[in-house]
Amino acid sequence: MSEHRRVVITGLGAVSSIGIGVENFIEGIREGRSGASKIASFDAGNFPYTTAGEVHDFQPETILERIDVERWGRSSLFSAAAARLAVQDAKLDPELLSASRAGSIMGTTAGEAQVLQAAVEQWVTDGLNEVDGRLAAMTPVSQIANSVNHELRLTGDAQTIPTACSASNMALGYAYDLVRTGEADFMLAGGADAVNRACHAGFYRLGALAEDLSRPFDLNRSGILTGEGGAVLLLEPLDHAVARGATIYAEVLGYGVNCDARHMVNPDAPSIAECIRIAHRYAGVKPEQIDYICAHGTGTPTNDYTEVSAVREVFGERIPPISSIKSMIGHTMGAASAFGAIVCGKALQDGFLPPTANLDKLDPALGEGLDVVPGKARTATPNIVQNQGLAFGGNNVVTIFGRVA
Amino acid sequence: MTTTVAVRPLTITACGVVSPAGLGLDVLGGALRSGVEEHAAPVSGFEDVVDGYPPRPAWAVPDLRVAEHLGRKGLRHIDRFTLLGLIACKLALDEYGRPLTDAERAETGVVMATNTGSLVSMLEVGRDTLLQEKPYLVNPARFPNVVTNACTGQIAIRNSLTGVNVVMSGGQAAGLAAVRFARTTIGDGRSRRLLVGGIEELSEVAAWGWHKSGALRDDAAVGEGAAAFLVEDGETVAAEGRTGLAELLGCEVGYYGARDAEGRLDGLRSGIERALDRSGLSPGEVDVVAVGATGQLGVEEIEERALQEVLGRPVPTVRVAETLGELYSASVPLQIAAVLALWRAEPADHARVALVTSIGGDGNAGCLVVRECR
Repeated sequence: MSEHRRVVITGLGAVSSIGIGVENFIEGIREGRSGASKIASFDAGNFPYTTAGEVHDFQPETILERIDVERWGRSSLFSAAAARLAVQDAKLDPELLSASRAGSIMGTTAGEAQVLQAAVEQWVTDGLNEVDGRLAAMTPVSQIANSVNHELRLTGDAQTIPTACSASNMALGYAYDLVRTGEADFMLAGGADAVNRACHAGFYRLGALAEDLSRPFDLNRSGILTGEGGAVLLLEPLDHAVARGATIYAEVLGYGVNCDARHMVNPDAPSIAECIRIAHRYAGVKPEQIDYICAHGTGTPTNDYTEVSAVREVFGERIPPISSIKSMIGHTMGAASAFGAIVCGKALQDGFLPPTANLDKLDPALGEGLDVVPGKARTATPNIVQNQGLAFGGNNVVTIFGRVA
Repeated sequence: MTTTVAVRPLTITACGVVSPAGLGLDVLGGALRSGVEEHAAPVSGFEDVVDGYPPRPAWAVPDLRVAEHLGRKGLRHIDRFTLLGLIACKLALDEYGRPLTDAERAETGVVMATNTGSLVSMLEVGRDTLLQEKPYLVNPARFPNVVTNACTGQIAIRNSLTGVNVVMSGGQAAGLAAVRFARTTIGDGRSRRLLVGGIEELSEVAAWGWHKSGALRDDAAVGEGAAAFLVEDGETVAAEGRTGLAELLGCEVGYYGARDAEGRLDGLRSGIERALDRSGLSPGEVDVVAVGATGQLGVEEIEERALQEVLGRPVPTVRVAETLGELYSASVPLQIAAVLALWRAEPADHARVALVTSIGGDGNAGCLVVRECR
């Protein structure tokens, strides 16, 4: 196998319910702020639960420079905006970027579900023949990555990976591969999703929805809070980043991916444990080197028990501090792992452990020795951290990031 | 910074095809040479829906005898999209010649192209939130079908494949993205073999979507289908004294949606040139071209021109959409299958080379080089 390049994260872009721009987002994370609010994007009047983590102050036209906001759905606008912010954060010349072999790999769960729902409403009201023909081109999930390339004038790969709730970890892993192997010189990687009626209905029907807040690891947790937003990271070869004097948040050390192949919605602890081991093997690290775990942490009892059990299987007696940022921004679905990766990058650079908010009483059934960093962020100096994504379909992806000395 | 390096070939060691021509490569080869005798009428994806299909041809996969291929268990809540994918994968695994061992299944993954997943399943939930007595009264057993990776999840579950499991969406060219992903994953030792392909499901909604978008010629048909290729590292296959149907060589794809028509032409042309270059082949060595934009207004001409400019001579061209209808996410996989089908039907005395090109209205465009195994 040929020599491969080391790959680092040099730009972070976040459009979240607790802040737009990486600094605002991270400030919210460190304070343990909640992004939960009354649903505004659809009429939730007849739903028993009416709270979600929506981004109310998103004005895409103030961030985007090239994209015509009328021609793209909300998820695509999230991804393009987050990508634009990531490039600005990286202080990378946009002209250099668009002239390079560069592209984007983006994860999503529901793609442009709001566009699809708009089409359904027209269909139900007036019939298929009356549905606005322009919606057809806006609907495919491929638009999520297309929007990034379109906004930044990138001509490399524009691939969307719609593998549900671990999708943006897969996107990160694949983008890392493309830069590492020299297929690309820069890649934008991340994910985007928008709160939508179908998703809210489905998770409620499955009994997995929280009434008001997401409370991972808490004895009284009730489920997930559906969330939304866009999260994008800029990946660049280490040598190039050093040569241009870039701020380096973290190095991508490697990732693990596997599939439970057992059940569509129930996660499988041994399989998740195996995925973590694969990630460690590819990253060349041992369990005792991991200083922090950014959990999938959806806030459902099933997720908590399964995920903690898998972590115990790999880490044994000493479990690193493990927290869930979904306690603050809700479950942002296809963007969730990318938000986790952004938090990991900042935790390594700024020296803190991200918290689990809304923790009242740690569920004793999760066992001894569990540090979920309750409340607010804690000052620390993590060197190597791990970011977990689990998904419908049994798709597990774990990414590993390290501080560049 | 990036250098253009030769690609490491992937070998297709088995394949499964489901198309409006029927099941398998042989019927596809026959249909490509003499047409489909009578296209099957499309099924209705929705209960109690009166809209019907738009006034243009819609060609379905005929006589999908599901139980014959997949048995009768556990299929009650599986949608047609996933059935098409499951059958294509089953056919490919059957063609492998022997069942995979448990250890081999743990090293086998799935990479499928789709830009929508099952529109029928998604819209069923969307309609239920509007039409049911309460908006949350969606069918909980069918709700998991709405995720775009429901099909690859089911392929993994029903075949115990615990390797890398992924879906790639890149518009019309999504199948090229799947091949690129497969190369990286196999090259990095993450999976020993992958089922690589794509799926498209015909429904009233998909047909109306094409019809209302204005993207297709008036007489262009909308189709459906799936193809799955069992793909392994080429050098490993050769070292083990095995062979396959064909090798997947250079595969390039890019996004040119922010450019005008000339810019998109430049993009596709450079993609074709790079794919050939990275395959160690020259334009003069191309025997056949399988094009993907047939019937698509605005891009069909760009594709033909790019090929003409690179090849500089007339080359036999396969237009899959003329025989199977517009296949969108499954287009590239069925273009590959078409080349394999024709090669099987008409043997030659040398290892032939095909170009599989793709360009979509969204601006994604690229090219894959396929070489026959001898």
